[in-house]
Amino acid sequence: MSKIQEVKSKVEQGRTKIIPGLVQEALDEGDKAEDILQVMIDAMSTVGDKFSAGEIFVPEMLVAAKAMSKGVDVLKPHLVSGDTSSLGTCIIGTVAGDLHDIGKNLVAMMIESAGFKVVDLGVDVPKEKFIEAVQQNDNVKIVACSGLLTTTMPAMKETVKALKESKLQGFKIMVGGAPVTPEFASEINADAYTPDAGSAAVEAKKLASA
Amino acid sequence: MLTKRENLLETIKGGNPDRFVNQYEFLDIILEIPILVTMVTPGKEIKNEWGITFRWPEGQIGGFPVQDDDHIVLKDITQWEKYVKAPSVIVPEEKWKATIKHANSVDRKDKFVTAFVAPGLFEMTHHLMGMENALTSFYEEPEKMHELINYITDYELRLAEQIINHIHPDAIFHHDDWGSQKSTFMAPKMFEEFFYPNYKKIYGYYKDNGVQLIVHHSDCYAATLVPYMIDMGIDIWQGVMTTNNTPELIKNYGGKISFMGDIDSGVVDFPEWTVENTAKYVEKACRRCGKHYFIPCLTQGLNFSSFPGVYNAVSKEIDNMSKIMF
Repeated sequence: MSKIQEVKSKVEQGRTKIIPGLVQEALDEGDKAEDILQVMIDAMSTVGDKFSAGEIFVPEMLVAAKAMSKGVDVLKPHLVSGDTSSLGTCIIGTVAGDLHDIGKNLVAMMIESAGFKVVDLGVDVPKEKFIEAVQQNDNVKIVACSGLLTTTMPAMKETVKALKESKLQGFKIMVGGAPVTPEFASEINADAYTPDAGSAAVEAKKLASA
Repeated sequence: MLTKRENLLETIKGGNPDRFVNQYEFLDIILEIPILVTMVTPGKEIKNEWGITFRWPEGQIGGFPVQDDDHIVLKDITQWEKYVKAPSVIVPEEKWKATIKHANSVDRKDKFVTAFVAPGLFEMTHHLMGMENALTSFYEEPEKMHELINYITDYELRLAEQIINHIHPDAIFHHDDWGSQKSTFMAPKMFEEFFYPNYKKIYGYYKDNGVQLIVHHSDCYAATLVPYMIDMGIDIWQGVMTTNNTPELIKNYGGKISFMGDIDSGVVDFPEWTVENTAKYVEKACRRCGKHYFIPCLTQGLNFSSFPGVYNAVSKEIDNMSKIMF
């Protein structure tokens, strides 16, 4: 197995402790930083698919994302652009009144691993803060709103409405979380709904390139 | 007419119940156990006896641990002994008085004197260190996670000893959420390695000391964990969501464990709830799950609803279904 293929395989396995060394070895052997980055993105895409299919669980996805992140740290100085986020910026947060962050964090990790710059606004985020983040960041392609409570679904609706009415352009709105359904997403005028973190990354890429 | 206790036993043994067990009616749950950790109440923020901060936003339906850099208790699993200190389970006897009085007031022929215990082992790990840190540490620092879980288990056993000595409960209602509505948080094999043996020890201790019934709350998908639940001594899994395919579970495991739930709180317990909608979901649950090894119940833990009136409306509809089906 070539070194670069080993990087891919070990990211998929979430081998956080050995990835930095492997990435360095791949660089030393002459593999291009951009190519190494791409195999790690591919690895995370496989991880996302396996998660969506129920073949792996949250811990496996978390350690894979962490392994990639450690690999990216080694790669960064070697990338021509110095940038690992070629797909644009994704603003993400859990809507006002809701303190759940696990699902939102998983989505953020997977979207970042797919090649976006992620601006994580945290939990209990008022609609004004989402708008402010779109205004203050460059090349925003995605705004992702998470909510885990039936009682915060109105806040999600308000956030989507405010973003749509803000006249800001160039981005799509994704929503998700346990009580959210495709019907609700459509009803509140969101551009996309995805049921889990793996499919969120796939959808974000699709929306950003549309 | 059977007492509530008799009817429950007939239901979970596959005998001759004369009606559906109606939600929590068979349990007299004692919440006021003086050595349990302090629970956050609506609109408040508290720091409990383990040092964990909980916040319950005004107008919302639950409290959550606050785990930013300023609040998180366990900052480094490799040094967990430095950060994690279990509270004492010894308090002045005076503090047990109300609890004992409550236990003594229960007619044990009719109901099970039930001690409420929360949070469970898994919940405690992620309350202390955050969910992401806990779940990645199972891979990165498995030995340290075993040590931490063993430490929490020892605390739970000390807690159990005090509860048993003071109120001699007939049942335990133990809280530990193990998944989301669609999946367990971890693979069954990981659960087997980290939690199964420790729960077997805790529930075994309760049973060896006179507790007849272990009711475990986990309102999530956990169908793949049912064989472990049976082996660790759980008699009733409360909180079983419809995503588990409850009828299939009853078919496969009825007689070894019973299932309490199948009325997902999210679809009936919301601000604009209606009697008609409630009746629809109660009827579905009763008809598809049947009379044995099943207790129709909201999936939410404990005998209340998030929105006023829903719990009682569900109970009323279960009584109606008893009239129709028994």
